Amino acid sequence: MSPFMKRSDIVKATGATVLGLVVVFPIYYAFSASFFTIGEFSTYPPTLFPSTISLVNYIRALTESMLARFMLNSLVVSLVGSLLRMIVAILAAFAVAFLNFRGKQVLFFLVLGTMMLPGDALIIENYLTISRLGLVDSYLGIMSVYLLAPVQMFMLRQSFKTIPLTYRESAAIDGCSDFKFLTSIVLPMSRPIVLTLSLHSFVTIWNTYLWPLLVTNNPGMRTVQVGITMLGYADSLDYGPIFAAISLLLLPSIIIFLLMRKKIVEGIASGAIVG
Amino acid sequence: MEKRSARMKKTLSPYLYFVPALVLAYLFSYRPFLKTIANSLSLVNFSGKIIEFVGLENFQSLFTDRNFQTSLVNTFRFALFFIPIDLVFCLVCALLVYRKRRFNALNETLFIMPMAVAMSSAALVFKAIFNPTIGVVNHLFGISIQWFNDPAWAMFTIVFLGVWMAMGLDFLLLVGALRSVPRHIVEAAEIEGAGPIAKFFRIQLPLISPTILFIVSTRLRDSMLLSGPVMVMTSGGPYRSTQTLVYQMYIEGFTAGNYSKGSAISVVVFVLTFLLILLAFRFERKGVFYQ
Repeated sequence: MSPFMKRSDIVKATGATVLGLVVVFPIYYAFSASFFTIGEFSTYPPTLFPSTISLVNYIRALTESMLARFMLNSLVVSLVGSLLRMIVAILAAFAVAFLNFRGKQVLFFLVLGTMMLPGDALIIENYLTISRLGLVDSYLGIMSVYLLAPVQMFMLRQSFKTIPLTYRESAAIDGCSDFKFLTSIVLPMSRPIVLTLSLHSFVTIWNTYLWPLLVTNNPGMRTVQVGITMLGYADSLDYGPIFAAISLLLLPSIIIFLLMRKKIVEGIASGAIVG
Repeated sequence: MEKRSARMKKTLSPYLYFVPALVLAYLFSYRPFLKTIANSLSLVNFSGKIIEFVGLENFQSLFTDRNFQTSLVNTFRFALFFIPIDLVFCLVCALLVYRKRRFNALNETLFIMPMAVAMSSAALVFKAIFNPTIGVVNHLFGISIQWFNDPAWAMFTIVFLGVWMAMGLDFLLLVGALRSVPRHIVEAAEIEGAGPIAKFFRIQLPLISPTILFIVSTRLRDSMLLSGPVMVMTSGGPYRSTQTLVYQMYIEGFTAGNYSKGSAISVVVFVLTFLLILLAFRFERKGVFYQ
């Protein structure tokens, strides 16, 4: 990397920055519009910069709607859901990587095979199942279909396989049970991937829309992604509180994203975080 | 006796680790899949119980249903615009920044920022900026397209949103692929006098074709499943011009309570996603160059 840039490099960098600014414009607009007054939404030409920085829209979004409740719902579902999802994936991946039993490959591919059946095309039957189990409008009902993550099971297995088998043998000689071996040796050694996948699970569940929309009828049980589309201001062109709500959601996810940027980029480069 | 039960426990315990995953796979994937197929071949009542077997009748009425034909055409229309625009745009971005230069790390971050935004937030923002009267898009470009009232244009708002949401990942995949093209090959071509266009089409494009194929096939599959942006932005309108397969399935299943028809549509979606994956694999053998 030389400190001097060629002219073509400057042209390219400028072009890239212009395109990049176009790409982030919707994000900028969401933050900017969260400070607009009702009047600023209907001016011509449209407003791009708020005239004042006031938190009125934020206060309205949090006090007039159930936004706080939606966020709490999403937080519970995403935290518990990703925790359960990791437990299920870790147990299965551990069995595939370290234990020997008949039919192991068949069972492994049976679980992986669910990747061929896209969840969105199964919503009708899954809804009927959840409603027969009486889980409509419940946290368990919302997280149910996300508890199995075959891709994550696969990636955990790949990671577990890098742990030398001699560890297991010496642990067995010392009288260490399989489960103990998992919790006190395998998991501590796999901390980075477990953390990355947990975060990815959290974000995935937090961001889902279609399924939570279906299994919640009671407004108090809605997740934030569903609730935010039903705030009801849009009909009166009173977009301010909606953009305040969007910004409240965007701010933490953008901060996390920027902090994790290196990890995300590396993860994609190594084929880890796809899907 | 005790010894035997201990041995039993030893042979059975590995399976216990698998039980949660298997139960979930059965309950929320295989069982609903089989039941969806069964429903699509039957008359189903309002509570989801099968009344009688009707063979392919549901599919016959489905394929003659104008409404369904619209959904099918719209779904492919979306894919037809979405995938090329996504690929070209991401390729341009990737070609601009793949060489490690000053500012490129910053530009890269700008390109992948949409990854931090959830679908429903993004859809709400796009709905506002494409609003025909108060939206900034019409104003900034000096146009007056009735984005959400004109059947010819409504699909493009969904396409733009789709590209925006997909580009972070696709851009990263393409940048990664461009960076893995061996330097000496590109430099040799430059010495031989290849211009930037020849360099791209003759060397880089063939070498990154596996990545492009991967993007095209996963995005085709995503296109067949498109529903969320439609629900938030257009509700399938105007005049059903943005109604997609999964959106119609949702309407039939949950608004109209017509489970047979909804299930038949989801079987069509299964077949389409499956066929597209197979097609991608076939194409892979012919047109893709691996190092």
